[in-house]
Amino acid sequence: MCSRASSGWSVRLRTMRDLTLSDLERLGDATEAEATFVMDEDAFRLFYDRTARPVWAYLSRMSGDPRLADDLLQETYYRFLRAAVTHDDDAHRRNYLFRIATNLVRDLRRRPRVDQVPMRDGVDATDHADPRSADAATAAARRLDLARAMTRLKPRERDLLWLAYAQGSTHREIAETLGLKTASIKLLLFRARRRLAALLREGGR
Amino acid sequence: MIACDREADVLEAVAFGRWAGHCDPALAAHAATCAVCADVVAVSIALRDDREWACSQANLPTAGAVWWRATIRARAEAARTVMQPIGLLQAIAGAVTVGLTAGFASLAWRSIHWMDRFSDMLSRVAVSRGEAAAASGVSLDHALLVMFLVAACLVLAPVALYFTLRDE
Repeated sequence: MCSRASSGWSVRLRTMRDLTLSDLERLGDATEAEATFVMDEDAFRLFYDRTARPVWAYLSRMSGDPRLADDLLQETYYRFLRAAVTHDDDAHRRNYLFRIATNLVRDLRRRPRVDQVPMRDGVDATDHADPRSADAATAAARRLDLARAMTRLKPRERDLLWLAYAQGSTHREIAETLGLKTASIKLLLFRARRRLAALLREGGR
Repeated sequence: MIACDREADVLEAVAFGRWAGHCDPALAAHAATCAVCADVVAVSIALRDDREWACSQANLPTAGAVWWRATIRARAEAARTVMQPIGLLQAIAGAVTVGLTAGFASLAWRSIHWMDRFSDMLSRVAVSRGEAAAASGVSLDHALLVMFLVAACLVLAPVALYFTLRDE
């Protein structure tokens, strides 16, 4: 029900960027378009304020590119607004949002560039250039270790671990988001966790 | 062993920032000896710290900006959807125009031959030399008119096609 074909998103992003001022003037009042959205503007503002940061963090870490995450964030919310899906509650809405984000990142992974540079923003120059405290340097080093370790995991393992331990999602929520069976999450998570923990230990030495 | 009964307690302590100094000492001691819980601690602390840092680095557009862009895009897509059948009709109209032009040109070409045969017949029937010349003149006048019409169609058809198929 929730899964959507996610090909062609980049074309649509490009279309968004190519809009000119005259296009916007011609488009004018957008009331009719809003009528096709799953929620009104006020509800959306509340929902966005609650969810945008974690969704951006997820997109940024899973895509490996914070600037791309900005575009993906817009696309994620657009697809969410246009989806003809009835949401039972806020948790379901949030899961659905993460599912859209996951599908977008999967599309990206099909392109060879992205998997080669995951978690780039976790190790950017600002980390190393900030000499304010030893704590900051230690934290930056930890993020560097994590970034390196995450690059060595499979994309699905990264998704699983982020959702479970960064996002705090339940097994059922993870299963819904990733399109997996709930019963299989425990084992998959165990394997991924063991692998990441081993990589972190290696990196810490 | 892929799970530990105390895994949830460990996760909760990490999630609420109680690990390791402010949690139950027995839990900390357990995690030191349990491989599953040790992995949970290592992974969850690293990922939660990274998430917090990533969230703090996010430079997000406002909800209003995201909403506005979404409405603009939805409207543009709706307009494109509406324009699709119109574009199809325009393509059909263009094809019909080209077909008619070609048909008319073919008809005109045949009529020129018919005019030639008619003028030959007139010249054979005409008794005097002057009458025959007049008959040829009539044929030539008609042929020129038809040629002019064909040329006009060939020039005007692409122009008409352009105005039909161009965007507003």
